[in-house]
Amino acid sequence: MNTTPEPLQATPFLRVMFAVIWKDLSAEWRSRELLSAMLVFALIVIFIFNFALELDPKSRAGITAGVLWVTFTFAGTIGLNRSLAMEKDRGCLDGLLLAPVDRTAIYFGKMIANLIFMLVVAAIVLPVYAVLYNNFHLFHPGLLLVIVLGSVGYAAVGTLLATMTVQTRTRDILLPILLFPLAIPLIVASVKASSGFLGGQSWSDLRDWVNLLVVYDVVFIAAAFMVFDFVVEE
Amino acid sequence: MADKKPGLLTGLDILSVVLLLVVTGMVFFYAPLEAVMGAVQKVFYFHVATGWVGMVGFLLALAAGIAYLRTKDMKWDIAGVAGVEIGMVFMLINIITGSIWARPIWNTWWTWDPRLTTATIMELVYAAYLMLRQGLEEPEKRARFGAVYAIIGFISVPLTFLSIRIFRTIHPVVIGGGDPGAEGSFSMTPKMLQTFMFSLVVFSVLAVDLIWHRIRLGKLGEKVEALKMELES
Amino acid sequence: MEGPANTLNYFIAGYVVIFGIMAGYVTSLAVRWNNLKQDAAVLEELKEKEGEK
Repeated sequence: MNTTPEPLQATPFLRVMFAVIWKDLSAEWRSRELLSAMLVFALIVIFIFNFALELDPKSRAGITAGVLWVTFTFAGTIGLNRSLAMEKDRGCLDGLLLAPVDRTAIYFGKMIANLIFMLVVAAIVLPVYAVLYNNFHLFHPGLLLVIVLGSVGYAAVGTLLATMTVQTRTRDILLPILLFPLAIPLIVASVKASSGFLGGQSWSDLRDWVNLLVVYDVVFIAAAFMVFDFVVEE
Repeated sequence: MADKKPGLLTGLDILSVVLLLVVTGMVFFYAPLEAVMGAVQKVFYFHVATGWVGMVGFLLALAAGIAYLRTKDMKWDIAGVAGVEIGMVFMLINIITGSIWARPIWNTWWTWDPRLTTATIMELVYAAYLMLRQGLEEPEKRARFGAVYAIIGFISVPLTFLSIRIFRTIHPVVIGGGDPGAEGSFSMTPKMLQTFMFSLVVFSVLAVDLIWHRIRLGKLGEKVEALKMELES
Repeated sequence: MEGPANTLNYFIAGYVVIFGIMAGYVTSLAVRWNNLKQDAAVLEELKEKEGEK
């Protein structure tokens, strides 16, 4: 049982989880290599889209959501790959796994850390996008909710898969190949819900999509919770 | 070892070939020509049967994945790969025949219909499964990761279907009614129904036969790998 | 109403694909089986030689 006299009586599970999150965030605060890579990549993608799709004001309205989500998911893949590859290369993961702690706590720690990175990228990309295209309707509460829900699901599946792919020979290319087909419902729902909110549709029109996102998040967090033990077992 | 081909398997081989010939004859000569669509409607019998076998293969992979994680017995890994391979082959036939049917009936090779799209995304999921396995050399780890991916891959399928379903569909629902307005739907005459049911049976037998062969292949592969290990050490 | 549309070509294409892919898969099974058989035979031989040494 918990014997440490902490003011907040955290369970061992939560303590491990917060320790992992804290480790990732403080390492990132020192090196900034993960966030900077994700951000630069995200901005480049937006610029490429600008020229590839001729984002003139008329066509832009319809595809803003698509552009944003492609940007988030691609940048998210880079972040996930890097985050788990670092664990593998520095042997942090092995050290953590030797400790007598609940492995799923490690999973949730990594997942929440990755989620935070994705949300930070989104929090920077959104205003930049708004300025570049002079489109300040972006900060719709519905859109923000969709970004959170979408990122949760993406980080949940991505963290599980990245933990596997960094242990393979072809680790740099494998993550998107494994992740994208599973993320299709998530991306479809996110894009549809986002463009609906941006287009001024009401909550009740978009309820199906938001429900789908919630279901996806719950299902995959539960599934990852059940199988994570098997991807780190030695 | 189990190298000698079991007599039962030879019998099953012969049975599959004979049944396949019979059902092909039935489709060609026994089943009546559909009144509006003509000959291409006959693709439907094998189209549905291969789709059924594809789903059975992927379900086997899911069940074998769960069984492997519980027992850590390599035979479940071999069964899982067999399921994925047979599933992919038949799902591919299902998609291509569907596309051939759609050309004259829907006037397009491809539509973003939920079933069509989901079937294709399933092919991609299981192609990813095979690539994941290729990237791993330790048999034990390969089996473990394969099982995990087979499980979560299968979980994603209904969600994918649902996500595309929320767009509208034009796929005909022949079994169990559904939307009568779907273009290309038709009602089956008794002869059509007999042919249809029989082709489901035939393809089920064929699937068992092929899965059995693939499992034997997997076992032989395991043996060769073990021999290699033995010589290296 | 007209009679049935003439879609014989599509019908033939469909069945060519069905049997073509199935034949291809069976062939691939047979080829892989034979290759593994050969590998196994070679390895068995090597193992026996090693045993003699």
